[in-house]
Amino acid sequence: MHNLASIIQSILKELFGSSPSLDLLYTFLGYLVPCLTVVTVIGMIGGILTLMERKVAGAIQNRLGPNRVGPYGSLQWIADAIKLHLKEDIIPALADKNLFRLAPYIVFVGTVLTGLVIPFGGSFIVVDLNVGLIFLIVAVSLVVIGLLMSGWASNNKWALLGGIRSAAQIVSYEIPSALALLTVILITGSFSMQKIVAEQGLFPWQWFIFYNPFTFIAFFIFGIASLAELNRVPFDFPEAESELVSGYNVEYSSMRFGFFFAAEFGNIFVTASIATAVFLGGGNIGLDPYESGIGYQLLMVLVFFAKAIPLCFVSLWVRWTLPRLRIDQMMSMCWKYLIPISFVCLTCTALWMLVFNGNGIFWRMSG
Amino acid sequence: MNPAIQYFKNIWDAIYTVSFGMIITLKYWVKEPPITIEYPDRLKKGPLILSGNSLEEIVSDRFRGYLTVDFSTCIGCLQCMITCPIDIIAIETEKRDDVRFITRFDINQSKCMYCGLCVEVCPTDAIVHSKRFEGACYDIKELCIRHVETAVPVAKRPSKGEAESA
Ligand code: SF4
Ligand code: SF4
Repeated sequence: MHNLASIIQSILKELFGSSPSLDLLYTFLGYLVPCLTVVTVIGMIGGILTLMERKVAGAIQNRLGPNRVGPYGSLQWIADAIKLHLKEDIIPALADKNLFRLAPYIVFVGTVLTGLVIPFGGSFIVVDLNVGLIFLIVAVSLVVIGLLMSGWASNNKWALLGGIRSAAQIVSYEIPSALALLTVILITGSFSMQKIVAEQGLFPWQWFIFYNPFTFIAFFIFGIASLAELNRVPFDFPEAESELVSGYNVEYSSMRFGFFFAAEFGNIFVTASIATAVFLGGGNIGLDPYESGIGYQLLMVLVFFAKAIPLCFVSLWVRWTLPRLRIDQMMSMCWKYLIPISFVCLTCTALWMLVFNGNGIFWRMSG
Repeated sequence: MNPAIQYFKNIWDAIYTVSFGMIITLKYWVKEPPITIEYPDRLKKGPLILSGNSLEEIVSDRFRGYLTVDFSTCIGCLQCMITCPIDIIAIETEKRDDVRFITRFDINQSKCMYCGLCVEVCPTDAIVHSKRFEGACYDIKELCIRHVETAVPVAKRPSKGEAESA
């Protein structure tokens, strides 16, 4: 029993008995229910983040932000989603229609796939793959195909430039972010997300971010690289408003645009959850995630969200602080700084494991 | 500078400047209250809305709103009418038993461009901008405001000394 699906399957088996044809149905349901939940949770958190982004922007600029729909504008994101659904869906006459229709879904699927292996604390993980982290890295970079596709299919120079930029940017920043995550893999010796979370503990000195100085640096490298992978300011070249109008999604309208939007903000939450799970101990409160009672499991979920949501806010905070870099600065930052430093972190962590016999800085404290 | 030193200095600069900027925005985020006035929700209107600002407070002292005329000082000199560049002030005076009365004082507020020339030229400061700006109405004729309903006598012309001291 290492994921939610098998737990649901066993519960169904106990309730309705088992036979080969029913087992097939149980398997289907066991995966469908958690998948739909994850899509909904990520979509909703993405929606709320669009509201929070405007609220935070307002607060930083001494404004109010949205304040008309619902108390303190708290229902604004629902109104926005309804508005996007009701808009006319325009496809340019000279666009490559099939690719144009497909692209937003690929971007969104990339986001949802990452949600499948995120351990939300306790047994709440859709599937605990033994290559979980590799799967995450792959799924995150699926976005680039969607962006390039939308840029090409729009038959628009701005969109194409945005697509090309996103390809250059995401492929480059994939390397430091993957290397930063690999430093943790050296410590756990496993790609399974639940295993990575289980190796950490409740207290900060048990988290991998404080394992040694190099994982500490790796955490920040992952943070910067994932900002770039998300196309967020200060790395929002694919949609640089001042140069490319809106970049790769300039021709999109209606809910197709909404998918890009939801994927962008869903990805903020997804990367924050990855950072939480890998570096900040995830939902680990020092108990076994599968054996403890449902109350403790919900507490683990709470702990997980208490760590992930502030990280989302850091992303918003950075967006309203820093201006956009120049494109050559962005490239030199990746290839000259982030990649060498992440290699140093990787090598030094490997040496650390050798010299200190696999113990972290605080190994005496964490026992 | 040695390129190797420059390399580490660049990293330090990036960390320093980014954290410096983030601390500034954090200060604004957490400490500074919004300066937006939620017009018209938070205006002090009835007894129900206790907090908030009154209309007087949200407009500045030199705000050029609707024109008002104080007939206790207006001497009926017609200066404002003559000086108005677009002729939207209409004043009529009438002499009854040696006393001049103002029988009409209309200002067509829908055309007024709030240039303030009439205010400047008035010798007794009778015509001034008020702070009123909420003028939406369904008929544009409502914006032609009659300041005189029944004829009012003009004020006494101030003597030289008074005018100078005022
Ligand atoms: S403010 Fe200007 S336009 Fe308006 S009434 Fe006075 S002089 Fe005329
Ligand atoms: S308002 Fe002033 S300028 Fe106009 S008629 Fe009266 S005193 Fe003269």
